[in-house]
Amino acid sequence: MKLSSVVKLSTVGLSSALLLAACGNSSQESKSKTIQWQESANLPTLDVSKATDHVSAETLSNSNEGLLISAKDSKVAPGVAESYKVSKDGKTYTFNLRHSKWSNGKPVTAKDFVYGWQRSVAPKTASQYSYLFDHVKNATEISKNKAPVSSLGVKADGDYKLVVTLSKPQSYFKYLVTMTPFFPQSESAVKKFGSAYGTNSSNMIYNGPFKVTGWTGTNDSWTLTRNKEYWNNKATKIDGVKFNVQKTPSTALNEYQAGKLDAIKLVGAQQVGQYKNSKEFYNAKQASTFYLELNQQKDPAFRNVNIRKALSLAINRQQFTKNTLGDGSLPAVGYVSPGLASRNGKDFTKDAYVKSGVDYNMAEAKKLWAKGLKEVGKKGLNISLLADDTAAGKNTTEYLQTQFEQLPGLKVTNQNLPFKSRLSRSQNGQFDIVATGWNGDFPDPITFLTLFTSDNSYNNGKWKNAEYDKFVNNAEGQDANNTDKRWNDMVQAEKTLMNDQGIIPIYHQAQPYAINTRVQGVQFYPTGSGLDFRNASVK
Amino acid sequence: MVKYLAKRIFYLVLTLFIVTTITFFLMKLMPGTPLTNQAKLSPTEQQLILQQYGLDKPVWQQYLSYLANAVHGNFGTSFQFSDQPVSYLISSRIGPSLLLGFQAMVIGVLLGIVLGAFGAIRKNTWVDTTTTIISILGISIPSFVLAILLQYFFGLKLRAFPIAGWSGFMYTILPTIALAAMPLAESARFVRTEMVDVLNSDYIELARAKGLGKLGIIYHHALRNSLIPLITIIGPLAVNIMTGSLVVENIFAIPGIGEQFVNSITTNDYPTIMGLTIVYCFMLCVVLLITDIVYGLVDPRIRITGKRD
Repeated sequence: MKLSSVVKLSTVGLSSALLLAACGNSSQESKSKTIQWQESANLPTLDVSKATDHVSAETLSNSNEGLLISAKDSKVAPGVAESYKVSKDGKTYTFNLRHSKWSNGKPVTAKDFVYGWQRSVAPKTASQYSYLFDHVKNATEISKNKAPVSSLGVKADGDYKLVVTLSKPQSYFKYLVTMTPFFPQSESAVKKFGSAYGTNSSNMIYNGPFKVTGWTGTNDSWTLTRNKEYWNNKATKIDGVKFNVQKTPSTALNEYQAGKLDAIKLVGAQQVGQYKNSKEFYNAKQASTFYLELNQQKDPAFRNVNIRKALSLAINRQQFTKNTLGDGSLPAVGYVSPGLASRNGKDFTKDAYVKSGVDYNMAEAKKLWAKGLKEVGKKGLNISLLADDTAAGKNTTEYLQTQFEQLPGLKVTNQNLPFKSRLSRSQNGQFDIVATGWNGDFPDPITFLTLFTSDNSYNNGKWKNAEYDKFVNNAEGQDANNTDKRWNDMVQAEKTLMNDQGIIPIYHQAQPYAINTRVQGVQFYPTGSGLDFRNASVK
Repeated sequence: MVKYLAKRIFYLVLTLFIVTTITFFLMKLMPGTPLTNQAKLSPTEQQLILQQYGLDKPVWQQYLSYLANAVHGNFGTSFQFSDQPVSYLISSRIGPSLLLGFQAMVIGVLLGIVLGAFGAIRKNTWVDTTTTIISILGISIPSFVLAILLQYFFGLKLRAFPIAGWSGFMYTILPTIALAAMPLAESARFVRTEMVDVLNSDYIELARAKGLGKLGIIYHHALRNSLIPLITIIGPLAVNIMTGSLVVENIFAIPGIGEQFVNSITTNDYPTIMGLTIVYCFMLCVVLLITDIVYGLVDPRIRITGKRD
């Protein structure tokens, strides 16, 4: 081959490549009334029965709508249901639906809810959220294939009345119906799209304030476009929201500073520090608690309450969240996260606060440690500390190691593993102490508290306390329909857990954002949908 | 030639088979299932979900059916994207990666040749020193560092290019430069060394003696002969670009397979990891095969059939 032909070939190749690239869509979208929002992960699905992650939840809760929708201060607001009634025994919910339409112009009826719920519960759908239905009559039997799907406790009474029968009262049921698996689904759409249902934005129909457009199933951006068929379309103030996937935090920050993005998630102490005192900073509370579980089965020493308390008192949570993490996380005030639920304007965490459970007192820690060691007849302990291999996970283990090793005779080895490996070790009891987190599903303390009953599958440390079990069971059972008694049960459960130091809470994770001041009215919720653009506006 | 090709293709298939097998069993050793709420699902539901992904069968059966499907281009269903076939994930995202890789390769190698040639012609002058410094920098600065710097200065500070994203030619420039740095530096170094050798050889003397012009000598005799060995490093350079693209695509938010690869690892999306490993391996084998063939065509001293004269 002659050199000149090499040059010619490359020139032709190069120019055709440039030409191809230039063919891409380079038209700039009008930014005026469209909000440019950063997502840090791809959208996995639009199938409401199959969505379990926050990206799907954020998109779907704006493009589709259930009976009720989340509102400020752990309240719910009317969605497709204009009103609802609960029977005296707390077991029957009657929802009166408004006349509303799907994005294809067909009416949304009670039958769509019956079908959608049945589809979410049917084992063959393989919804990983089907357990949320466990109080609905026959749901558990259906998920075990022991009853037909048609026996689910949800019936349409005409086109606009939906009657739900629960197997036992569930005071937080109103929160559940705001979540994606409880959304209506059109049988004709599901049948029409078959296995491609929800795999791209055209293979889905919408009944929320926005429609999803421009999602191919694998690409890095998609848009919430105003849905003209939405019943409250006149209240929508923006044209839409474009989600842009930016996985590299520094890129997202550059794009934000260049005005290409209106809102980004701030990651790490440096980014948070940069915006902390700015008008653009917003620290979205999350129903999230990170805590330590002590493996009582593997290490009998952890059955000693003084040893557990000593470890907890050795942690300076203020210092850790402020100086070590610095990412907007808040020091733990207990197990249930603050801002999740309140009664008469008083936050649950205030009612159930146990100072000693989350306090820092090294002198007291050393005293209890010595006492505990004596009681179990040991001179010291060698333990490993298991956590995620994320930045926060490594910060946690490094900080705790320094703190814990101030207790005489305690040697700590750190072990940071990828999430799934860490999880499988926690579940199989292959750890001494594990740092793990929990995100509540709905704004009721029970979403946290059920985790540490004796036989719960998330109770990896195997801490057992009969009192605690009793309080949780009462809240879920005999007191389920009595708001005050139930609240007290939950307060007592939290107090029992903290007084006995069944787990060691460390911090509550938050999601800090930088949001351009031209964007107003975006609502953040600590659980469930997460983001709501219904009242958003742009200046 | 045909025999050689057949042999090489056989090796290609064998390599793919071995890589697939090793990756498959390594993946099986790692924890991770498509179940996201395992503890809260009834055994029936867990069973059904595993069944949908074919994970309820013994491992050897899974392996055989994986192989059989992979031959037909079916890499299973992604764990991360529900109901999305891995083959669709890959095919819809491979375009940007190929385009970037191709641009980076062409620009890197062409500029590298020019730089290297200038360095050799002006040996031991400031030109030479400058090109050497450029190539040392190109080799020692990792592509992701360069990517972040380019993005910050040309994207954010100067606003000359888009910061990130993928909608048009302008969006390809910064990532292409970030990826092209390494091949540029490597080929510049290579060409310079070769050309210094060639310029000292007898036939260049002869050409000069014949009274050929300086440019003619460099273009027709020196450059051409120095380029032949360059073909051998095209393969390794392609590998560099492929691995570099994993990070560069992430930084510039390019919807390519490199970005997808990183993503599938962090989300334990095993079918996607497997599928992409096979695709990468295949691309690499093909690049190596092509360079070997081209090498034989360009340089008559190299006989791919292995016969001696």
